[in-house]
Amino acid sequence: MAYTRAHALLFLAPLLLIVLVMYGMMAWTVAVSLDDWVGMAPVWKYHGLENFRTLLGGALRERLFTSLRNNLIWLVVFIAPTTALGLFLAYGLDLVGRAERVLRPLFLYPIALSFVVSGTLWAWMYDPDAGVINNLFRMLGLGRWAQPWIADPHLATFCLVGAAVWQYTGFAMTLYLAAIRDMPREIFEAARVDGATDVQTFRHVVIPNVGHATMIVVAMLILVTLKVFDLVWVMTFGGPGISTEVLPFFMFVATFRQQFVGIGAAVSVLILILAVAVVVPYAWWSMRRLAA
Amino acid sequence: MKTASRLPWRVCIAGLALLWLLPLYVMLANSLKTIREITQSQYVLPPGGFEVQNYAVALGVLRHGLVNSTLVALPATALAVLLGSGAGFFLARLRFRHSQAVFFAATIATFLPYQIVLIPLTQLLADLRLINTRPGLIVAYLLLNTPMAALITATFFQTVPAEMQEAAALDGCGPVTFYWRILLPVAQLGLLSTAILIFTTIWNEFLIPTAMTQGTFNQLATPVLAGLKGNYAQLWHIQMAGATLTSLPPLALFVFLGRYFVSGLMAGTLK
Repeated sequence: MAYTRAHALLFLAPLLLIVLVMYGMMAWTVAVSLDDWVGMAPVWKYHGLENFRTLLGGALRERLFTSLRNNLIWLVVFIAPTTALGLFLAYGLDLVGRAERVLRPLFLYPIALSFVVSGTLWAWMYDPDAGVINNLFRMLGLGRWAQPWIADPHLATFCLVGAAVWQYTGFAMTLYLAAIRDMPREIFEAARVDGATDVQTFRHVVIPNVGHATMIVVAMLILVTLKVFDLVWVMTFGGPGISTEVLPFFMFVATFRQQFVGIGAAVSVLILILAVAVVVPYAWWSMRRLAA
Repeated sequence: MKTASRLPWRVCIAGLALLWLLPLYVMLANSLKTIREITQSQYVLPPGGFEVQNYAVALGVLRHGLVNSTLVALPATALAVLLGSGAGFFLARLRFRHSQAVFFAATIATFLPYQIVLIPLTQLLADLRLINTRPGLIVAYLLLNTPMAALITATFFQTVPAEMQEAAALDGCGPVTFYWRILLPVAQLGLLSTAILIFTTIWNEFLIPTAMTQGTFNQLATPVLAGLKGNYAQLWHIQMAGATLTSLPPLALFVFLGRYFVSGLMAGTLK
């Protein structure tokens, strides 16, 4: 279909303008990270990599490394179970036949909720005194299993991760179920004829054929961990102490609460560097698919 | 024989499903309990009656927030889908030399964590005197979601048969007529999926209003709920009523338009 320059302008200009503004703002953040900007009004006082020095080796070192460590915990403890459970459920749902229609939404509905809703809900589930989980344990005569949960600095981040696993397992499950349904049915037939059990089929037929879906799931979940902010804010506000702080939370508090805008921008740049490693290959890969 | 051997799978999945439902059950059941029942701390038992008063209290706090969220999320979604689908059409259906480059750039803008643009975005809206206003929030969400809308609609438009476009071109139909009169109606379910994804994303979002609004007048539902949690500490029945009210619009979309909710969710990964 032929088109003119005016058509290109009409259809494409809004997107191009928005994308340009987004990239401009990224460059702006990088510029701010090199300035000694404190307070709400812009201060363009260039001081090189001083903000990064303060973060990586100076006064804020401990705080930054707490956030980095927690982001690393999120990366491992959130992604591994969400992916594994999602795949297990997807295969299970594929096996149980018609019951799938009823069961699938029961795992997927949490993805429709805001992190603020799930945070409100799970903060109560994990409450050390009046929480639902401890309450349930006591009711079942398992009172000795009761824990301080989010009040325990060593346990708190894992509690937050638990809420996120609950929220995202259905998402992983849905992507995996689509991948399993895309596989030719003859493969499953052949496995059955050969006398493979369900578990053997899972190991030798399903797992080798869902690598593509795994890549999508893992990339999306990594981005979730690099953005995680709401759950921390609502459930623990970074506490006890700073034990549950993550990079996006640290960035927000530094910028908007303490008004060390230069420092906040430097933390944003660190997030940018980590995210680029995932997003650029992902964008490259999906661009190639559009062309195909 | 075949079914019997799958019984362990069924039991295992049903058990996990119950575990997954527990938080929803706890939220709904306790939102209907009286303060007396709450102080007895039998949280997993069903409510004795329907204490609708809790919802009146929660609504009193959340009223402005829910209205503002609606007045921000609906126009931002409509505009993002409109602007995005135009670009999606251009990228997916017309021969354009730089399609791939634009797609690549838009994908990166979509998926990078938006904390990276939070400081300049706040500054930009302050310069435009739009900080702490609903139009300001709409502009912010439009910037963050239009690239996503373009990418998703492009993937939906790609599934429209090429013959349809060729036939339209032979009949002398130009790009504007084809986009507006043929493509949008034909791909309306894809547009619905896109709109559901973007509306849900905006409705559930928390960081933008936390950074860009103050006071109660222009506040969106999610920060109001977060505030309610602090102000009604230990009053779990009120907290749960508030959480239920805040989750109603996206949950309703999930329940009543589940297929399109899921297809939007899948398309959002560009899979």
